[in-house]
Amino acid sequence: MSSDLTINSTGARQKRPSLLQKLVSRALARNLSCLIVPGPEVALAHGLDIRAAGLRISTTPRDASVLMIVGDISEKMCDAVAVLYAQMPRPRAILLVGGQTPSTLPGADISSGLSQDQLTEAVGRLERAFADGAFVDSPEEFDSSVLHARIEYVCPMHPEVVEDEPGSCPKCGMDLVAREAGESTPDHEHHHDHEHHRHEHEHYHDQEQQSHHDHEHHHDHQHHHDHKHQHGESDDHSEHEHSGHDHGEHDHSGHDHEEHDHGGHDHGASGFMSMIEVTKDLPRSADGLQMDWLEVPFGPVFPGLPGGLKLTLTLDGDGVTEGQATSLVGMATEGEGSEESQESEGSQESEEMDADTFIEHLASAIPLAPVSYRLLACLAIEQAAGLSDDQATTQARNSALERERIASHLGWLAQSGRQLGFAWLTQRASTLQLKVRDAGRDRIAELEPELRTLGTRLERTPLLKSRLKGIGVLPVDSSDLRGPVARAAEDGGDAWARLWQRLDEIAASLELLKSGEEPELPVLRDIGNASGTGKATVDTPRGEARLSLKLEHGKVKSYKLDTACSHHIDLVPKLVEGQELGDALLAVGSLDLSPWEVIS
Amino acid sequence: MTVAIVLLALLGSAWLLAVIEGWMTTGRLSPAAPLYSGLAHLGRESIVPRSPDRVFFEAAPVLLLVVAVLGMAVLPLAPDLIIADLGTGALFINAALAYVLVAVIMAGWGPDGAYAMIGGWRFLGQLIAYSMLIVMPITAVAMRAESLVNTAIVSSQAGLWNIVYQPLGFVLFFIAAMALAFRAPFDLPTAEGDLGGGVDAEYTGVRLAVLRLARLTLVVTLASATTVFYLGGWHGPLFPPWAWSLVKTLAVAVSMLLVGRYLPRIREADLMRWCWILGIPLALVNIIIVGLLILVVP
Amino acid sequence: MSGTQQYLLLLGMALGTVGVVLSLYGLARIMGPAQREPGKDVPASSGVLSRDPVWGRYHARYYGYALLFLAFDMEMAFMYPWAVVYKEVGMVALLDMGVFLAILFLGLLYGWSQGAFRRQ
Repeated sequence: MSSDLTINSTGARQKRPSLLQKLVSRALARNLSCLIVPGPEVALAHGLDIRAAGLRISTTPRDASVLMIVGDISEKMCDAVAVLYAQMPRPRAILLVGGQTPSTLPGADISSGLSQDQLTEAVGRLERAFADGAFVDSPEEFDSSVLHARIEYVCPMHPEVVEDEPGSCPKCGMDLVAREAGESTPDHEHHHDHEHHRHEHEHYHDQEQQSHHDHEHHHDHQHHHDHKHQHGESDDHSEHEHSGHDHGEHDHSGHDHEEHDHGGHDHGASGFMSMIEVTKDLPRSADGLQMDWLEVPFGPVFPGLPGGLKLTLTLDGDGVTEGQATSLVGMATEGEGSEESQESEGSQESEEMDADTFIEHLASAIPLAPVSYRLLACLAIEQAAGLSDDQATTQARNSALERERIASHLGWLAQSGRQLGFAWLTQRASTLQLKVRDAGRDRIAELEPELRTLGTRLERTPLLKSRLKGIGVLPVDSSDLRGPVARAAEDGGDAWARLWQRLDEIAASLELLKSGEEPELPVLRDIGNASGTGKATVDTPRGEARLSLKLEHGKVKSYKLDTACSHHIDLVPKLVEGQELGDALLAVGSLDLSPWEVIS
Repeated sequence: MTVAIVLLALLGSAWLLAVIEGWMTTGRLSPAAPLYSGLAHLGRESIVPRSPDRVFFEAAPVLLLVVAVLGMAVLPLAPDLIIADLGTGALFINAALAYVLVAVIMAGWGPDGAYAMIGGWRFLGQLIAYSMLIVMPITAVAMRAESLVNTAIVSSQAGLWNIVYQPLGFVLFFIAAMALAFRAPFDLPTAEGDLGGGVDAEYTGVRLAVLRLARLTLVVTLASATTVFYLGGWHGPLFPPWAWSLVKTLAVAVSMLLVGRYLPRIREADLMRWCWILGIPLALVNIIIVGLLILVVP
Repeated sequence: MSGTQQYLLLLGMALGTVGVVLSLYGLARIMGPAQREPGKDVPASSGVLSRDPVWGRYHARYYGYALLFLAFDMEMAFMYPWAVVYKEVGMVALLDMGVFLAILFLGLLYGWSQGAFRRQ
């Protein structure tokens, strides 16, 4: 952080500040828009009111001048953050709210704590920084390894030959041709699978492609990472599997972006194009037409989805042929989230953690439902220590849980509003969420009429029902459903049913709060130096979470966590398949996936 | 002189809409906000995507602005306050507005980005849905006025505004106009939740400023068209004719902005279905009713 | 003002608008050049650097509507002149156009029955 309040030289524009620049800088300072990473819902869950702090929320990096990073960022998100920063137009600044600087970024321009006052004060500093330092003499280039396409070398005759170094083909001796590696996702493991990679690349660059083969490869590949994911082979696949294997004819020189225009739209060198020839190897859509399919990323920082969730959809026009969801912020493994444990994955013999540290660790790893997981950890540890339930504490804790349920569902409503372009809902729900978040019983009783009218208003909103009804219907054989998703499954199991399930739960929680104790954050009771094993289940806002752990001398030796979202994320491929893009995104949104609660 | 006054009115209305839009998104009503926002856009870099279709990318915002301005040029603010009172004014509006589609598709295709491209093609579907609902109600308006001259259309409403004479046409035209201006809930090509900004997504800096200005101007032009066709244009007691035109135009424009705030985005499939199964037959019924009224009521 | 003059005026306004935009671009240029940096000019796709070109055969699923639209749009070309003379000609005009529209709407109904009104 620079003390004299100017913008980082990777964010300022190059121009000697003159009168005109000064004027414009003032305007820039009054017009700050921020892109929130991981997402606005995390800022809300932390109780930050961005608008009140004087920032406009932007949904794309192109329209943002401030990259606002809330909390600590996972390793996988660091790459995404670098890409977003690179794609913001200058002048741009980084605002860190309660976290460390991600490794891929230059130092933060302004840092702030996780409270509204600190944020407001930081925005003030940010404004001064823009007013004084938007233009500098010698800005620096921002660069990061993710921003560079990996160059790989392929043989023009043997596409299966892909090398990292220039040279000649081992099969025919021809000189290898350089090309830009296709996808530069943060998922670097992709690049080890050359076979897969070649296919995928071809998918976009060469009109002659075997998309179904592509996708099969893709899935094989996915299976390496995610054994839980089941891929249903549809009839379509087998039907079109015959498309040619003669890769030899492909002209790979067209792949070099630096020299060529995209190969994507010029179908051939000759002037006359036969449509049959052009389309003969394209994938076939459900209506029998042959079209180009695109693999398009939605997320990790996408306005319509919770931050950290990355949805990769294969699009045929605006229809989804298949989709895959991954979490970039999920809890690392069973065991601990720390570096050491990642290496000893599976063994569960991770490093010991102090019981209180463990609780803090779990609560902070899940910013969208910290109270629930704090409670879960407390319960499991107390059971392991052999403590019996204490009536008053349990009631106070449950009240806190119900309060969080209300707040969390309101957060989901706000997120749905963002997805649906329903500005009123977003504003109403997030205002209420901020109020409910740490309200006492009396305050919540005051808010009750407002909360209840929310449902009435939504019922009366035209278009909403037709937008949600019949969207995201779960397959009949879906197993492992939990929480609102499971409870809404009996009631039609679509996005509309899930909306009403959550609204009903808000009402039910209000009743429980009325009859219950004053909400109190779960704090671990004195467990001394106890040892033992404990198990606990908490019905979090997104569904049941189960934790079993082993306690040794007051320290958590190992643990195993099972969350609702880990199961729900597997529903995504079936939910999106064959849907229109907007419907598919809405279906995913209606699950209320918290990528933080996905255990990878 | 007329040109200057009309353009000033157009710009002023766009300004006011920008203030209201800012009020809706930030919760603060600041009259100077559009100025700051414009200056800030000037100060930001305007990024050109790598290997774009440069002609399409550059032309789209400008074309959209030109279309909106030309549309306004054939609409009267007062009997003599009109830039070009064409003999085919009502048709000219149609022709000009058809280019909105061209501009949006160009903006979508230009940057070679997936979100933008899908947004552009989505808008083509949207045009297929709303287009007939712009054209058919205007026909009914022209039937009553026995003319395509826009001043004559206003004069024909001296006794009774078209909103009363043909309310069905007004409702259809208003909805279609919102779809044409791709404002929420018809913001399919620029949907943030679906497409991360869609066709707007790749515009930054001064190009974005022009695009936003064009979109606001388009709303004003469409509101002005609604006023001329249905709300009796300059007719009204006490105040001078131009004031009535402005007030009505602004009221329609603001309501276009506000409605979207309280509605979720429509599904494209629903939009097309409703427009064709419900909208177009209703528009036809409107034409028939107006046709009979004209013959029956002198 | 003659018709030609009016169209010249409109052309002038179009050119004037372009001129205003160009001068705005010029003003933006004074603010300094855009820094060329890696990754910046790749179309933004929510945090993933997606370099793949997207231009290709796009599956427009509304082609059923699009065909019907063509028919109706043609019809509208006849509607405008008809609308202007409608009152003069009277009831006959309504019947004339009625026959024409009836055929079109039969087409609409037929298309509906054949499932033209759904996403393909």
